[in-house]
Amino acid sequence: MRGEQLTAEQVLEKLQEALGEVIISHEIREYTMGVRKKKSYKEIWMEIDKDAFRKTVEEIFKLDYPHLHFITGEDKGGDTIKMIYGFALYHGFPWGQVSIVLKFDLPKSNLVLPTITDLMPGAETNEREIREMLGVEFEGLKNKRHLFLPDDWPEGKYPWRRDEYGVEDMVKHTHKSVNEIRRGE
Amino acid sequence: MGKTQYYIPVGPIHPALKEPIRVEVEVEGEKIVKVDVKRGFAHRGIEYMGMKRNAIQSLYLAERICGICSISHPYAFVLGSEKALGIEAPPRAQYIRPIIAELERIHSHILWLGVIAHEMGFDSLLFWTWKGREKVLDLLELLTGNRINYSVFMIGGVRRDIKESQIKAIKDTIDFYRTFTEEMKNVFLSDPIYKARSRGVAQLSKEMALKLNVCGPVARAAGLRMDIRQDNPYDAYADIGVKAIVPQDIVGEAKGDAYDITLVRLYEIEQSLDIIEFCVENMPEGKIMAIPNYVVLLSRIKKKAGESIGMHEAPRGEVVHYLKYDGTRDGPAVWKVVAPSYNNINTWGSLLLGAEVADIPIVVAYIDPCLCCNDRIAVVKNRDGRVIDYSLIHKKAIEKTMRVKRELGVRE
Repeated sequence: MRGEQLTAEQVLEKLQEALGEVIISHEIREYTMGVRKKKSYKEIWMEIDKDAFRKTVEEIFKLDYPHLHFITGEDKGGDTIKMIYGFALYHGFPWGQVSIVLKFDLPKSNLVLPTITDLMPGAETNEREIREMLGVEFEGLKNKRHLFLPDDWPEGKYPWRRDEYGVEDMVKHTHKSVNEIRRGE
Repeated sequence: MGKTQYYIPVGPIHPALKEPIRVEVEVEGEKIVKVDVKRGFAHRGIEYMGMKRNAIQSLYLAERICGICSISHPYAFVLGSEKALGIEAPPRAQYIRPIIAELERIHSHILWLGVIAHEMGFDSLLFWTWKGREKVLDLLELLTGNRINYSVFMIGGVRRDIKESQIKAIKDTIDFYRTFTEEMKNVFLSDPIYKARSRGVAQLSKEMALKLNVCGPVARAAGLRMDIRQDNPYDAYADIGVKAIVPQDIVGEAKGDAYDITLVRLYEIEQSLDIIEFCVENMPEGKIMAIPNYVVLLSRIKKKAGESIGMHEAPRGEVVHYLKYDGTRDGPAVWKVVAPSYNNINTWGSLLLGAEVADIPIVVAYIDPCLCCNDRIAVVKNRDGRVIDYSLIHKKAIEKTMRVKRELGVRE
């Protein structure tokens, strides 16, 4: 399952070969650490085309079975949500872990993404969280029950959204139960 | 046909669980055939709050995510913020931080060893390990002023220096734990009953560990050499060259069960002692904060845009913070926290399937789900409101034992 260890530059080169145009921008960030023995490690930050998301993830899985750091998203209140996926390749190699951060814009008119739980069953937790916090639908996700929010959470309310679907109006009532807020008490 | 399957709900409030979480299982006889885990009973929306506060306020908020590894979240937060804002902590601070973090790992691992002993029914072992744990909590109190929630980390350094007079206390504690860990190894690893109760229980294969995205001691017990202190080192860890502790290096083979995870945690206590010793002996001189003035720090944060991921190896696994500063406010615009238990709870579903009801506490406890311990002291008062001291309580306890013995007719 594990692939041969590559450097950040080689990983980027392989992804560019396989994906070509869909990488809109890329950057290799180097961080130097240590006090007496200075050494550095690298991270890859990429902006990609949203339609190529699934293909990009599949290419990453071809290189090495990754560790999923996080999935998150940013809503600035506009028409799109910026999705951010953090993967780590080659964990277990001293100084060798290469984190890859994928970013892409998802239009609010069509908040649908393919699931990655078929490649990594452990990603279910992350996808369920994003689903309830941002309202992004994952195609192929089997368990769609709420993760952190209560089962009677109102429909169409997403805590991380900064538009009319956000929870600004609910925040002042956190001491009340969902039912009390609904009844207008 | 008669009913053969029974439904057992455990939690959210349950004596076997120290934190609110709900495990719903369906059993056929003793075998578990269906599992569902419900989380979120302690969700407080801390990320949401953090995105509305400034970075220093969010740092203290991060400290309150977890009651046990209360330095791990601030550690990931300051590392991420420093990466995003281009601030470097002074060398001395980079050596003080791992000392605090490793002391925390020692107390957290001993806490787990006590909890797992309790779940297996060895309560005397629980009290013995926790008695040993007090020393490291006392040392943390000496160094930081608090047993828990130390509040010593700051973006670009630490808030408290380690004085020469405190170094002796650190060295004494290291000596104490060298002996104590040796004793714990004897008790846990050589005991036939402990072995019988933990070998093969909660067994996770290497492949499953990868697929379920687990981290920390759970992944290492399964044979995966992952440890952020080794993979992407930071601060003094970069100078030390930390190696992930995996069972195959100690006993030749990784089985990934509750016994192996005990092994990993016990050896990690020794590794932490080595790290603390290195840091104390090689600590550079100098200042402890890059930007000592908080007003200056906040205005610097407000002007600078940047994003990064901050990672720290907490006692339970990797803590990852994604941070984005947008250059318009003095706090994070986006803050995403992933704690180790977030990933490690993934194992419950697969490990409980096919297991027996009696194994539920061990499977649940084996990943060390993050519990809270904020109680400092229990003050017992008599009817007049006067505090009863320890010697009187001890005397009363002996009296009660004698009375019970008399009533039951026990003869020595």
